[in-house]
Amino acid sequence: RVSSDGKPPKFQPPPKPVIIDRKTKKEESRFLSPEFIPPRGRTDPLKYYLERKDMIQRRKVFNIPEFYVGSVLAVTTANPYASDKCNRFVGICIQRGGTGLGATFVLRNVIEDQGVEICYELYSPRIQAIEVLKLEKRLDENLMYLRDALPEYSTFDVSMKPVPRMDHEEIPVNKVQVRMKPKPWSKRWERPKYNIKGIKFELPEHKMQAAQKWSQPWLEFDMLREYDTSKIEEKIRKELSEELEK
Amino acid sequence: MMPIWTKSGEKHAVTLLKVQDCHVLRYVSKEESGEKTAKLLVGGKNVSPFSKPESAHEIFKEAGVPRKQKVTTFNVTDDAIIKPGTPLYAAHFRPGQFVDVTAKTIGKGFQGVVKRWGFKGQPASHGQTKTHRRPGAISTNKAAKVYRGKKMPGKMGNIYRTSFGLKVWRINTKHNIIYVNGSVPGHTNCLVKVRDSKLPTYKDCNKNPPFPTFFADGDEELPEDLFDEEIFQFTDPSVTFA
Repeated sequence: RVSSDGKPPKFQPPPKPVIIDRKTKKEESRFLSPEFIPPRGRTDPLKYYLERKDMIQRRKVFNIPEFYVGSVLAVTTANPYASDKCNRFVGICIQRGGTGLGATFVLRNVIEDQGVEICYELYSPRIQAIEVLKLEKRLDENLMYLRDALPEYSTFDVSMKPVPRMDHEEIPVNKVQVRMKPKPWSKRWERPKYNIKGIKFELPEHKMQAAQKWSQPWLEFDMLREYDTSKIEEKIRKELSEELEK
Repeated sequence: MMPIWTKSGEKHAVTLLKVQDCHVLRYVSKEESGEKTAKLLVGGKNVSPFSKPESAHEIFKEAGVPRKQKVTTFNVTDDAIIKPGTPLYAAHFRPGQFVDVTAKTIGKGFQGVVKRWGFKGQPASHGQTKTHRRPGAISTNKAAKVYRGKKMPGKMGNIYRTSFGLKVWRINTKHNIIYVNGSVPGHTNCLVKVRDSKLPTYKDCNKNPPFPTFFADGDEELPEDLFDEEIFQFTDPSVTFA
């Protein structure tokens, strides 16, 4: 550039590069598996501490991936009566239950027009591998209504390839509204007790209104039912991260 | 209660029992008690001394031990006598041993005959007037009396009951915890008496137990966790069937 004074132009150092690191996970969206959170009760916390030690020990040897209700998993278990001595089952996780070492998850799939649900224990030593084929969430915590939905919503290809996913992306929420088979259903899913958002109810308006008769709007304000797990979760997260780094 | 897996992949449910400040309080010899074997009084779980009068503290003062919530007796042979005041630990038991566990069952209060004794009651419909869970007849005509011990409604639970022949799967020496197979009478966090099994099938089961008991100040250094041979330990890789 041409300087105004005739002196050589003052050296302007180049602007420092601003690095936006999108690869590392954000601190707020850390995942804590729900079976680590102890239920509300009068049991000695020492019992949960010992159980957690065993769970961490198992996790060090065997990788239990992060998954939610609504993700598609493939589980291989050891089976003494199979020819290959192992069984592989692919399905969508419809429910995660239990706390501690007895935590379970139920996988559902429709194989040759027959709906099959298998309940696996997360910490059972017979499980050889758990792969997450598709990691996603759904609008509900419990997808038991898939039993009364059209079978196309529960069929998943057994030889499905894992869907690639970047680490820093948020977990996608699948907002699919499932279409149901005609009534009768195994449970009255339209009732507010189940609070299901993932069904496209094609029932007449007066039936939906009649179902609201069983609503209990005082439940969300009941203080005795409150269970604030934020502090407990923080402690357990710290404990987990310390132990797994060892 | 917790699940536990064996090396062949089978699951068993296990109860955790914690040995909390157990001390031997007194030795009562055969002649003193008048029975066939000598007795050892053992107390468990420390409790505040202020809620009982001084006269009740004598046993504890002799042994040099704080006041205990529960005092039980164990019938002991002469070669297994322990000095009063020695602490007892969970390492007294070994995995693979069989034990009997005694405790007071959960109190259910005054209960009717259907819940208390398992009577069938009467049908719900077909003309039954106000009679659905009643005992029905209580004796015969010829007897002309009701026998003693007739099963009738009354207070249920809160009595001592024993579960026999429970296997010990695992012992945690750091926190003094015994992992015992199956369920045990009593509610959570209740006091429980654990004793070597008296069943004839498990008479010779105990090979090399710590005799007379496990002494913490002795030379033996035990690892933090003692496992039974058949338990699947979580440090091993997953179970495969060859």
